[in-house]
Amino acid sequence: MAEPQERDAWIALASTPGVGDETTARLLARFGSAREVLAGAADGRVDAWRAEVRKSEGRPPITGKALGELRRTASAPALRLRDIEQMGLSTMTALDADYPRRLRDLDPPPAVINIMGDAQILFRPRLVAVVGTRRPTPAGRLLATRIVRRLVECGVTIVSGLAVGIDGAAHAATLEAGGRTVAVIGGGHRHPSVRAHERLRAGIIATGGAIISEHPPDTVPRLGTFPRRNRIIAALGDATVVIEAPRRSGALITANRALELERPVFVAPGRVGDWATAGALALLRETPARPLVGLDELIEDLGYFAAGPERADQRAAPAKGAVAAPGNSDVAPALAMLGETERTVATRLVAGPAGLDSLVADTGLAPAVVSSAVTMLLMRGWVQPAGPAYIVAGPLAR
Amino acid sequence: MLATLVTAVINGLRGELVRVEIDVAPGLPACHIVGLPDAALSEARERVRGAIRNAGFDYPASRITVNLAPADIRKRGAAYDLAIAVGILVASRQIRRGNGSWALLGELSLSGTVEAVPGVLPMVATLARQGYRRVVVPHANEAEARLVNGVEAIGVEGLDDAARLVAGPRGRTAGRAARRPAVELSRPSVPPPTTGRPSSSALTAPLEPVDLADIRGQQHARWALEVALAGGHNLLLVGPPGAGKTLLARTIPGLLPPLDDDEALEVTVIASVAGELRDDGLRRDRPFRAPHHTSSYVALVGGGPQLLPGEATRAHRGVLFLDELAEFDRPALDALREPLEEGILTIARAHGRVRYPARFQLVAAMNPCRCGNFGDPQRRCRCSTGEPERYVRRVSGPLLDRFDMQIAMARLPPAQLLDDARLETSAVVRERICKARAVALVRNVGRANAHLPAAAVQELCALTPAAGRALADWAERNHASGRSIHRVMRVARTIADLAATVQVDVADILAAAQLRDPQANPDERLAA
Repeated sequence: MAEPQERDAWIALASTPGVGDETTARLLARFGSAREVLAGAADGRVDAWRAEVRKSEGRPPITGKALGELRRTASAPALRLRDIEQMGLSTMTALDADYPRRLRDLDPPPAVINIMGDAQILFRPRLVAVVGTRRPTPAGRLLATRIVRRLVECGVTIVSGLAVGIDGAAHAATLEAGGRTVAVIGGGHRHPSVRAHERLRAGIIATGGAIISEHPPDTVPRLGTFPRRNRIIAALGDATVVIEAPRRSGALITANRALELERPVFVAPGRVGDWATAGALALLRETPARPLVGLDELIEDLGYFAAGPERADQRAAPAKGAVAAPGNSDVAPALAMLGETERTVATRLVAGPAGLDSLVADTGLAPAVVSSAVTMLLMRGWVQPAGPAYIVAGPLAR
Repeated sequence: MLATLVTAVINGLRGELVRVEIDVAPGLPACHIVGLPDAALSEARERVRGAIRNAGFDYPASRITVNLAPADIRKRGAAYDLAIAVGILVASRQIRRGNGSWALLGELSLSGTVEAVPGVLPMVATLARQGYRRVVVPHANEAEARLVNGVEAIGVEGLDDAARLVAGPRGRTAGRAARRPAVELSRPSVPPPTTGRPSSSALTAPLEPVDLADIRGQQHARWALEVALAGGHNLLLVGPPGAGKTLLARTIPGLLPPLDDDEALEVTVIASVAGELRDDGLRRDRPFRAPHHTSSYVALVGGGPQLLPGEATRAHRGVLFLDELAEFDRPALDALREPLEEGILTIARAHGRVRYPARFQLVAAMNPCRCGNFGDPQRRCRCSTGEPERYVRRVSGPLLDRFDMQIAMARLPPAQLLDDARLETSAVVRERICKARAVALVRNVGRANAHLPAAAVQELCALTPAAGRALADWAERNHASGRSIHRVMRVARTIADLAATVQVDVADILAAAQLRDPQANPDERLAA
């Protein structure tokens, strides 16, 4: 580990608003150490260097505003640190020997990572990133839940971005399955994510997970901070799974970063023409990302083997019309427990999400019968609402 | 000479007796109307003078004083014209009063013809209660006036007809007493169609009725509509544009059971006061009102200078259909909460206060968000983050809570849309609805299932023991309030009535729980 003073200066430097990884790297290359940078900011050497670089390259290496902040840091570095302490965060720096190996693959690696929760989680084996759109379809949400549940059974820690949509579904499914999860947020810890995820955040911490950020606690997330955050998600995951990504989705950025890091990327394909998966299909066409064809195949490709029973041999036939319906293998015993009409409705839902009208049309049952069957399944917890449709849950979602 | 006659005024939906005293005395020619007249009534002076002259009588060159008593009631409208004119003729000795005793209602035109006025039915009913058995009404209002028992209502076309009636067969009508023909400069070159009612204002233009058999798919929503209409339950349809919400609502007129006698009279009285009753007599069709979402507060709730009934009252005993619920004025929507609960609307203004009945069934349709695609797997929602939430928040929680049934509708897949299989016709479904309603009315002593009082729900819903357990189980899992438990029981009762079973069973309870679809509840939907 670096000597304490240099480490503190390093954290203070990285916590300076406007001073990002690139600027930090250049400053360090010029001045040698974080302490020297701060000293230089105080005595004007940084100003001189800035003018010099501007002359030779035509562009200053650091904005005037950031330079002002840097001077403020130099005059009272402790102030920058105090904020992190007050939030009860632990901090890792790229100087530390025990810095997550996965993040070192980034160039440059994030100078500082602030962690709420268990920092050791970043060192666990089997981290997989599960990302996707903020506006998933019921099918996408269901797929995320299924994949996460299966991964957790194999001892995987799920990494995602704590956004609404697939991210949230992935975190929530992890907690539900008794797993641990890492949330990489786009702002500081004082601005963690949408209000709707308040309970989810508490759950992540309570179950031994972590919420991490490269920003000091006060940073307000902006449009630009999210793409940067995605490189951390990509680096933390040994593999990345993309569930649904429209064109220009942030999930595509995560996937591309993962591919740059030569990490495997699995993309759930969609129907041609669906907006929700247009970006995912483009990814499959234009990059070496691999299609996700089933849960068993995913586990096999990852080389992870479940602690539970072997499943590969009892895979169900792919359901009609379902998009990449991964292994509905274990639902038969659950279905057998149901009454006749409930079973008919449940069987239809196992094949894919459906609204009430589709259920009536597809099962041929009377609307009154379908309605009471759905209520029954809802009460059992075997079906859950997702947007305008219903999806299977509990023992039916295997 | 002094002449007195009787006419009536509308106050809310009730008529009130008004005495008209006319004094024709020597003096400078003038006409004064006293007794709280409004603007339309003050102008009666001019109409009456023109009408008397052009009907062939003489307008007396004397001092005419018209007093309307009682003086504390505000007199509105032009229904007194006829009484004033006839009174002047009698007071100026141009006609002599015959044996009969007449009350008179009607507006005059300058040519002396008698024009229709709104509210004839309740006004005649009031006159009858007060012992007036013979009433002269405008010809166009004759049919509705005759709905009142024990009254001889005679429709007249002109002031001269009215004068002859009052004078009696042996009475004297003075002077030339012949109508002066008007010089008609504008006249239609083809005769106007005589059949059919004149259509109401553009805001309330009736929707073309649609038969259920013409609607493809949407079997769940069709069934839900059937349950709603059979039990009088308020229904909310939520779905993207093109899902068929409006089309489904347009089948409602063809599915509603006819009005019974008492209801028909109530509905006819309202139509009469609203000025929507013309040549037709008793209204037997349940009202179906579909005001546009730009309708103002007053249009929806009622009010204005004349304190007229709004759409909510005009939909009394029928269905008020609000398409694009979230686009309506929020204060106007919230004003509907009271009538939804009480069946009565009280309109209080500085110049008066009226109570209108408004026991309507509310059927509403709305999109899940501004662009309509929220939650649709095929089409992308173009709303920004948080916008769908703001959109549904425009309908207040308490109003949403008044919907017993909330249904999510989705766009039909093209294959179903082109499917030729014809489903049941409106006539078949209507028969089931009528039967279920009849059964419920007998059991509930005249109430629809939706209006069962909380105290009677337990007894009248007659749950089987198993159904009771299922309901308790459901309530516990969903943290259901007492109100929502009762709601499920009422809807379950209707489902059982449609199946013609005496007791409510487990399947009915579960199906009823589903009809308040959490998927359709915009609040819960957003949380998912």
